[in-house]
Amino acid sequence: MPKATLTLLLDFDDQVQKDHSQAAAFLHRRDRKFALSCQADGRPPGPATWLAHLGGFSGKQAVGGPDMRLRVWRRVTFAFIAVGTLLGVLTMLGLLFYDGSGQINITVILGFVLLQIILAVLTSLQSLLGWRPWGQLPDVLARRFGRAEPSGAILRRLQPQLSARAAHAGGLAFGVSGLLTLLGLVVVQDLAFGWSTTLSTAPETFHRLVHTLALPWQGLWSAAVPSPELVADSRFYRIAPFYQIENTGGSTAPARWGDWWPFVAMVWLFYIILLRLVLLIVAITHLELRARRLLARHPGLTTLLYRMETPALETGNAHSDAADQPRMDTSIQTQPLPDARVAIRWAGAGDENLACSLLSGARPVVLAAGGAAALAEDHTSVEQARLSLGTGGPETVLILTRAWEPPTGELADFLSEAFQHWPRTARIALVPIGAAAGAEPPEHQVAQWLRFIERLANNRLSVSLTPGEVT
Amino acid sequence: MTAGPVFAVVGHPNKGKSSVVATLSQNDAIAIALEPGTTRQSQTYPLTVDGEALYTLVDTPGFQRPRKVLEWLEAHSLAASDRAETVAAFVTQYRNEPRFNDECELLTPVIDGAGIIYVVDGSVPYSAENEAEMTILRWTGQPSLALINSIGPDDYSDTWQAALGQFFQVVRRFDAVRAPFDQHLSLLKAFGQLEPLWEQPLERAVRHLRDQRLRRREQTAGLIARALEDMMVWREQRTFTAGGLPVQPDGELAANLRERWYKHQRQREQTLRLTIERLYQHNQIKRQEAELTWHSNHDLFSEKSRRVWGVSRAYLTTAGFGAGALGGVGIDAVTLGTSLGAGALVGGIIGAAGSYFYGDRLTLSALKLGPLREGLQTASFGPVQDSQFGYIILGRAIDHWWHISHRNHAGREPLDLVPTESHWLQHLNRGSRHTIQKCFDKCRKNKELDDNSRQELALAIGSALDAYDEWRLNPA
Repeated sequence: MPKATLTLLLDFDDQVQKDHSQAAAFLHRRDRKFALSCQADGRPPGPATWLAHLGGFSGKQAVGGPDMRLRVWRRVTFAFIAVGTLLGVLTMLGLLFYDGSGQINITVILGFVLLQIILAVLTSLQSLLGWRPWGQLPDVLARRFGRAEPSGAILRRLQPQLSARAAHAGGLAFGVSGLLTLLGLVVVQDLAFGWSTTLSTAPETFHRLVHTLALPWQGLWSAAVPSPELVADSRFYRIAPFYQIENTGGSTAPARWGDWWPFVAMVWLFYIILLRLVLLIVAITHLELRARRLLARHPGLTTLLYRMETPALETGNAHSDAADQPRMDTSIQTQPLPDARVAIRWAGAGDENLACSLLSGARPVVLAAGGAAALAEDHTSVEQARLSLGTGGPETVLILTRAWEPPTGELADFLSEAFQHWPRTARIALVPIGAAAGAEPPEHQVAQWLRFIERLANNRLSVSLTPGEVT
Repeated sequence: MTAGPVFAVVGHPNKGKSSVVATLSQNDAIAIALEPGTTRQSQTYPLTVDGEALYTLVDTPGFQRPRKVLEWLEAHSLAASDRAETVAAFVTQYRNEPRFNDECELLTPVIDGAGIIYVVDGSVPYSAENEAEMTILRWTGQPSLALINSIGPDDYSDTWQAALGQFFQVVRRFDAVRAPFDQHLSLLKAFGQLEPLWEQPLERAVRHLRDQRLRRREQTAGLIARALEDMMVWREQRTFTAGGLPVQPDGELAANLRERWYKHQRQREQTLRLTIERLYQHNQIKRQEAELTWHSNHDLFSEKSRRVWGVSRAYLTTAGFGAGALGGVGIDAVTLGTSLGAGALVGGIIGAAGSYFYGDRLTLSALKLGPLREGLQTASFGPVQDSQFGYIILGRAIDHWWHISHRNHAGREPLDLVPTESHWLQHLNRGSRHTIQKCFDKCRKNKELDDNSRQELALAIGSALDAYDEWRLNPA
């Protein structure tokens, strides 16, 4: 069974509120997928199907019973009906109060019916105009009597229509109980109706009035249409009690005074009960239309349709290695530049003069490896360095590198080959050279070389900077 | 998921491959400046539309032993025609060899048909050692493009351009950290030019990315509008039982409520900022201002914020006049013009007077005590009576948005919202100014904005975003 529009609206609003805490990308994916599946199935995506789709996952779909969010309004409506029923009985008893001392004045009853019509019309006007004279009442009642939450924004906006519905339901109950009371009294009592007014109204005028009022049921029940004679016969005066009239031979026949009741019953039925019924239906329809309108204009619906219509674009940001950062600190320090007779320029780092200036001894040896050189040249350089080192005491070879270039596997291979071929006493000092001539390399560039030798874990390997660059 | 073209982003270690991928995939969770040699696996970053991959970027490890690979290739190739097969044979032979893990990882997508995006750092001098890498890539025979990405302050791009031009079909400069969005799209289009079959999916991707950016701008306007309304009408209150109210409520209680009010407003602003950052897929931004105390220059309630983002009384008065006149026009409409515009004039004057009067009343917001009802009494602070406060929120929110929307995902610097001296609102059109002022006035009077007003406010803020963008990019 499809949901009532009001329940659908409230469910939709609840879901939109819940969605506020969700990531926009997730919502877009979810709703776009739903729209695409609807398209594939050939059914239009709308709020009802959307809610059913979401409800299918949470198991809410199967839950029936009354809507708890409308509990306050249900109670308000029941209260109106109960009070209306009671007031209907009391009012009719009051209107038809008859102790034999005077007739029941039809004019008073008509006046009361007019008052009811005015109240009913005002109730509907209040609803149509959106006026909320008792705006806070449901919330106050909810707090005081019920455990229900005060009404949300949506229910607050529907208050005029909800209150009109409750008021008309109460008015209808009032009318029905009043009519039943009238019929009951007609059976158990001998009611004497008459009409009286201070205004100088002729019976013909009064007859025209009641005749007009009785137009709707003229063809249905002719007994409920007062005749001119009845009108003329049932007029009474405050200073002329009926027994005086009777004793003085007045024309009014007491037997006819009861003939007014069908008219009274029909006036009540048409102008109170049927009017209230019509206005109740109008109020319910208005509530339905307003709920539909609110749903159609709900900002969440605009956003939902937008998400459904717009392709879900994923730019590839699902992968994250933000928490997988390597350690960037190191306990290794740079060492002072050692005395050395041999230097190897790795990948063309520095120049010949700089390399020579870092070496000591009469015949410094400067070799090249890495970079654009062929691998065979690397082997040759390793061999030439071995020959230069000889088999003497501990000696260090400087390997000049470009500080900004990250150390690669090729350098690691070269170092490994060198250690294999050179004497066990030989050490290697890596010397990162900055990009600008004479300028020391930035700290982060030096740090990558320190971490490099830390990873290689060879105590014959160190990092040194050119003089004046020691950090 | 269908597969579109794949682009392998390759190069020497630590030359900005991950930065390029981070920016193009809008992913700020990619680790950048990893230790050379620690990235051992390729990672794919597909751009999908409704599950269909329009293209995929593959971030790869850098070359570790290119000369050894090239030596092997040269030793196993007979003629130029078998070079691609020889590269594939190398990968097959050394797939499980740890020494050549990185080379196999980076060459695998290429021999599977990926386009090559070769990235170099244009801020360091050209090095011939890259030639072995470039030669290997040329051997694969795949469409290729070289990107000069400048990581440092120096510029050797010209030398790089000349050298790269000998190896690659297309050479582009692309600063992954600072390149504006249009350049991202232009680069993607260039990817599409590498192969006729790739053009259409890349064009589609560009179109979707452009639409997404427009949508984000609209969504941002809506988010700021909602936050503005929330903050302008916020009231901090406490309820006391009879006799529970402090004897001198203006002292400690007022200070307490004011502090809570300030705290809520700051939290709301932070929530807005985080939401906008998430919208633009910035999830890892380091936020210095979060550590700052409220009396600092960066705080919402600081004098500096007021000075930078507040507006002059003259502005408030004219905006108020416009907002009031908009309301007054309704009277003229009802009288079918017989009031000769008097409604608009009177409405304008009332609006201007109200805006002028309430234009500087943040300091006047004071404790309000409600009547004793059913044994309970409410003390409240807010809503703020100061339109300036709205302009401060608006200015700060738009400024933050601007920095976020122009921030590339390769950026790792903490977000620094530097205030400026001139005022951006001068670039905003009159209609939007009036709409914003009208909404501020409603909030000041604690009136709920209806859906139409909310929509109008969001549209006006959309215009404000454009105006701010214009002001930032083309300062007068």
